[in-house]
Amino acid sequence: MTHSNCGSSRRQFLHSAVAGSLLMPGLLSELLAADAANPLAPKDPHFAPKAKSVIFLFMSGGVSHVDSFDPKPQLIADHGKQVIFDHPETRNRPGYEKIYLKRPDWKFAPRGNSGIEVSDLFPQVGAQIDDITVVRSMHTSHSNHYNATLGMHTGSFAFARPSIGAWLSYGLGTSNQNLPSFLVLAPQMPYAGTQVWASDFLPGAHQGTRVMPGAEPVANLTRRVPTARRQELELAALQAFNEAHRQTRNDDSQLATRIKSFETAHGMQTELPGALDLAQETDATLALYGLQRGQTDGFGWQCLAARRLVERGVRFVELIHTGSSGNWDSHGNMADHGRLAGQVDQPIAGLLQDLKQRGLLDDVLVVWTSEFGRTPFNNTADAPGREHHNWAFSSWLAGAGVKRGHVHGATDEHGMRSVEQPVHVHDFHATILHLMGIDHERLTYRHGGRDYRLTDVHGHVVQELLS
Amino acid sequence: MRRVMVCDFRVAGVWLVWLCCQVPVVFAEEDTEFFERRVRPILVQRCESCHSSAKGKTHGGLALDSQAGWKQGGDSGTAIVPGKIDDSLLIQVIRYPEDGVQMPPEEAGGKLPAAEIQVLVEWVRRGAPDPRVAKALRGGLTEQQLRDWWSFQPLHKVTVPRLDPSVSTGNEIDHFLAASRSAAGLTASPRADRRTLIRRVTYDLTGLPPTPQEVAAFVADESPTAYAHLIERLLTSPHYGERWGRHWLDLVRYADTAGENSDHPIPDAWRYRNWVINALNADLPYDVFVREQIAGDLIHKNDTAEEYAAGIVATGFLAIARRFDHDSDMHMHLTYEDTIDTVGRSFLGLSIACARCHDHKYDPISAADYYALYGILSSTRFAFPGCEAKQQPRDMVPLLTPAEWAQTIEPYEQKLAALDLGLKQLDERQAQATSALKSAALNSPQLLAAGEVSEGGSQFLAGTAEGALDPVTVKQGQWLQLTIDPNGNYGADSTLIEWELREVGGAERVWNITHDLLDHFLDSNPRADRYGNAATWALLDGRGGPSLLPETLSNHSGKVGLDIWRNGDNPAIFVNSTDQPITVWTTLPPRTLFVHPAPDGPVAVAWISPFEGQVRITGRVADAHTGGPNGVKWRCEQFAGDHSATLARLSEFNTQRKQLMTQRAELVAQAPAKVTAYAVTEGTIANARVHLRGDPEKLGDEVPRRWLELFGAPQVPAESGSGRLALAHWLTDPHNPLVSRVMVNRLWQHHFGKGLVATPNDFGTRGQAPTHPELLDWLAAKFIESGWSMKAMHRQMLLSAAYQQGAGDPETPTHAQALTVDPNNHLYWRFDRRRLTAEELRDSVLQASQQLDLTPGQAHAIPPTNTWSYTQHVPFAGVAETNQRSVYLMIVRNRRHPFLGLFDGADPNTTTPQRQVTTVPTQSLYFLNDAFFHGQAEAVARRLLAQPDESARLSELFQIVLQRDPTAAERASVLGFLSNYQQAIADTPAAEQPLLIWSACARLLLSSNEFLYLD
Repeated sequence: MTHSNCGSSRRQFLHSAVAGSLLMPGLLSELLAADAANPLAPKDPHFAPKAKSVIFLFMSGGVSHVDSFDPKPQLIADHGKQVIFDHPETRNRPGYEKIYLKRPDWKFAPRGNSGIEVSDLFPQVGAQIDDITVVRSMHTSHSNHYNATLGMHTGSFAFARPSIGAWLSYGLGTSNQNLPSFLVLAPQMPYAGTQVWASDFLPGAHQGTRVMPGAEPVANLTRRVPTARRQELELAALQAFNEAHRQTRNDDSQLATRIKSFETAHGMQTELPGALDLAQETDATLALYGLQRGQTDGFGWQCLAARRLVERGVRFVELIHTGSSGNWDSHGNMADHGRLAGQVDQPIAGLLQDLKQRGLLDDVLVVWTSEFGRTPFNNTADAPGREHHNWAFSSWLAGAGVKRGHVHGATDEHGMRSVEQPVHVHDFHATILHLMGIDHERLTYRHGGRDYRLTDVHGHVVQELLS
Repeated sequence: MRRVMVCDFRVAGVWLVWLCCQVPVVFAEEDTEFFERRVRPILVQRCESCHSSAKGKTHGGLALDSQAGWKQGGDSGTAIVPGKIDDSLLIQVIRYPEDGVQMPPEEAGGKLPAAEIQVLVEWVRRGAPDPRVAKALRGGLTEQQLRDWWSFQPLHKVTVPRLDPSVSTGNEIDHFLAASRSAAGLTASPRADRRTLIRRVTYDLTGLPPTPQEVAAFVADESPTAYAHLIERLLTSPHYGERWGRHWLDLVRYADTAGENSDHPIPDAWRYRNWVINALNADLPYDVFVREQIAGDLIHKNDTAEEYAAGIVATGFLAIARRFDHDSDMHMHLTYEDTIDTVGRSFLGLSIACARCHDHKYDPISAADYYALYGILSSTRFAFPGCEAKQQPRDMVPLLTPAEWAQTIEPYEQKLAALDLGLKQLDERQAQATSALKSAALNSPQLLAAGEVSEGGSQFLAGTAEGALDPVTVKQGQWLQLTIDPNGNYGADSTLIEWELREVGGAERVWNITHDLLDHFLDSNPRADRYGNAATWALLDGRGGPSLLPETLSNHSGKVGLDIWRNGDNPAIFVNSTDQPITVWTTLPPRTLFVHPAPDGPVAVAWISPFEGQVRITGRVADAHTGGPNGVKWRCEQFAGDHSATLARLSEFNTQRKQLMTQRAELVAQAPAKVTAYAVTEGTIANARVHLRGDPEKLGDEVPRRWLELFGAPQVPAESGSGRLALAHWLTDPHNPLVSRVMVNRLWQHHFGKGLVATPNDFGTRGQAPTHPELLDWLAAKFIESGWSMKAMHRQMLLSAAYQQGAGDPETPTHAQALTVDPNNHLYWRFDRRRLTAEELRDSVLQASQQLDLTPGQAHAIPPTNTWSYTQHVPFAGVAETNQRSVYLMIVRNRRHPFLGLFDGADPNTTTPQRQVTTVPTQSLYFLNDAFFHGQAEAVARRLLAQPDESARLSELFQIVLQRDPTAAERASVLGFLSNYQQAIADTPAAEQPLLIWSACARLLLSSNEFLYLD
């Protein structure tokens, strides 16, 4: 190979980009060797997985369980009764010396054939309840947004640790090298900032890539030179220059890896906007998600984009609704839950239906959760809002490997504590990893003399909800 | 010894009585056999799945797999009292009391069969004979293992093995390497060419590329000492400290924010960063360097002002520890853990923090060791960066000694005291006048109207929008007052008021509080009306009768036009004087006036009549902060008597007060600046108690403040403060074999790409053994001998032939063979190519475009502390763009710098001993499409356009980016690219084409592997 190929043809470059092989023949084996060093190359799970991808729907701020997925008739009956609890959110708090039970603001009704009760807050998701396992016995270790959000993502409530998406990327790699393994569709920054999708001590390739609605959903994704032809010329020249450089250094796989990464980047520049472009979707599909044609934002956009991404082999897609403010943190007035549910109910229901009708629900695990729930009480009986509550909340799972139309666990009569088959965040994580074919006790990373794992020294797979 | 089980009726429950009487059991075995045959199987099968140290599962802190385990007991105390069945918790719980703890729990198999309970009861009755005596352990090691582990042994005296005659260049290092290399049948690669060498060593020591002129000069220098001179030049460059300082900052997880939930910025953090850079430039001996960071303030207590100040700044190493949670004061135990972790890993290569919850499983560190160090830190006062619960920072450490500071501050304080005395006297006179006003007001109220506004509600004073109160007859100086009382939850009692008084007959003048006061709101209190009548409006603290609100605050929360009169936080009267809504704790519509009562009393506004006649009153009171969950009470009153004289006096006092306050503010603004550091000082001295299983609420025994048992556990001398000074000396004791080994290994790693010990932060038993133990010990000894000089070690390593060798030629058979024998180059038969770090990449691109600003960075632009109101919802998220070197970029813990994050920069939340080198397509997207990168490439292109022709431009480009000339083949191919590219941009104006073309060429080279990877 000499530099005379510097101006190599568009056809040749495109061929290599499409074929995913090399510009230069005869180097394929070395590149495959280089692939072994590719941290995102697909890896075998510990055992046969039920799910290939995860869509993680994170409702930021704390969704009230007693207003949504955890019906508590006794809470209605006992509305206004004074109760006494040593609760982390009311302890030593002026004005909260006395607390009173507070009934839900939405009515519950049995839904689907399973008859599982869901409130009018989520009628559309409720209509899909026969595909869902509701976990009514969630609990977590902190009642602060920041810490609980960090815990729900990393298993650590204080220290920076890798996110669950990064762990899965590390454990399994990804099947589409033209796309990142872990994408986070987050229009706003969540609590705890970028730590939510950080790879921390895991190799940087596993960190979440943030996607934001708008002209350039991923940083540097948009071709900056005005024409494709110019970029192809530049890339071909670069690849030729790098290849000539490599001729006398052909024992160094990192050089070959980087040469390939430009082809992958070019592929990503083409494929990721395509994946996020909803133009090819039918009107019926758009309607399913509550989307207008041409709409490029909103939770419907996030949900439909998520389906398109898992279709293309992305390992872990997280959707955050909304961010660290203007979110589900309804201290002042629970009526705000109505506004927020209105933004997500149809898109989520549409996502479940769409995945199902495409047969994807057999391969994709959909997880819906918040960082904690909200108090079944407040400091006056008629207070319109609810406070943070980490003793109990509801999450749900749907899709690959999960029972359909099932309820796991229960809270006490007022939704105060998880009393039957409680599921801690660590158990929740262990279960998600299990469904992906990963033993949470074996997925470890040696860092500074210690083997770390997502679940630290905790976590049990919730066997009862596995199908 | 034969024993017969005796049924003890007093101890056992009724069921046991029944059982014993029905089935008398005799255990005939002697103790050991009894334990082995009957007790051990029960413990193994029924208990150890949850209570076993060996399995790492000690629920409730209890281990039952050794005698020591049950003797020590768990969180509830000792499990067995030998011989005392009833006092033994173990027996109590296996009896399954209805109202107590039951073991084993249902999910672990439930209650034991009666026969097994009998066995355990008998075992305890016999005195719990237990042969399972564990070997004496230090943390996770036996004494023997401890003695055997290489890194805990003293430095071995090593002589240089001068065995291999082929070592003719270089230095001692090469003899060590040659020994293992030739044993494997390998030889070193030939020396790198001169351009490669100067690029390698310049990047290595300064993080910057050499200039083309420097390369040319070095290539041309035939002198045998050229290379040694080059090293000296680079070691004296100020950029040396910026490059090697960054290595250290990686290790100590430097950041410009605190990392707690609202990620408060640390305006003074930069002083520590620059101290590190300067210390390295000055080649501060490493042992001094370490000691200063632990106890610089104590070491230099009696030294010059400069040394003392630098000593304080150095302890920023401790202060920079990460903070946690909503109120970080409440979570200092986590900050101490972070500090112990960083101290252990950075200085000693030991993971001490693993012992927070239990003795270390693999290394000789006990939980007591951890809490011995913890006590030293908890006896130290850390500067407090502020947090969501407490916005304002405190305990920053002044850089002057107390005596010097006293001298500096004295004249200022005298002037201040004089002003304050004047203010105090004025306040007393003001208080007299106020009290006269209060008593007059309290004695003569006449209620005109009153009401209560509900949550979110609004009320007109007269009940309707159209109506007005009955006309009120007023005399000159008489007082009408609208008072707002708190109601229930006062915190959400912000209340909109509108109030208008209209003259009946006469000139039909109108006094509208909003119109009259909104603009220039803070000018005075009382205020004139629009007709020029002085002291017509008064803004009042209504508690115990009216008094004038004394304080002003303009642009509250940084919101322009949100101005406030207040007394303390509340009561307060404030306006949004702008044409836009202002959102703070609630949303304030444009051009409105609000009041907020105090928790213990009302706020009020008053109108003092400038005439005698009648006025008609209208107005409205509205809850302006919903979610309270209640509204407020209000009343409108008239007070008899002429208060204008009193008010005039008060007004005069206010004017005087304002003048004095202005003088005071001017004085304060010119006060000698107390330069502070984010650092530590001595705190309240106290030993710590062990936190059982790491839980700060479960305290165990007190541990004296001392050094690790591994090093003999010397205690902090009495009356010597926190123990930081002792710790500083323990850490750098030349007999401590870890400190020198760990540091020379780091120096080696940064020069050779990997450590002699591949786990630079872990020299414990979970780490890797050294590839060249003798070389490591020789270097460590040499390091100490050199007076801990890092620059001496750089010379030692850089002058070795091993460092100067080339990356090898894959085409040669020896290379191919070496690759088979030692693919990872553990034997140093070639030099490992490396990728530029994130900082080197950014700095090099800026250097190529001539945009790099080489002045050292100082403080970041951080908003003044009194404006801070960071929360977990809206944390600090500053970005400080700069063209200075990347080491000076602002590092935000909770918002990773996008560029540094993309190119494997250091993690600001934990110690980073070695950068990862990941290659991902999003990095390539950066080179393809990033705006900054394209901008810099264009700037390079503009440099090229100064050259006369394409050929010269091409040479210049290669020199700027790669510091070499293009080959003939490269010329041909790049010129070929140029002509193709020109066709592709044929539709752009000809005048613009050269810049487009040469920008593309600049991107080509700046994106190339040759630029990014250093041979």
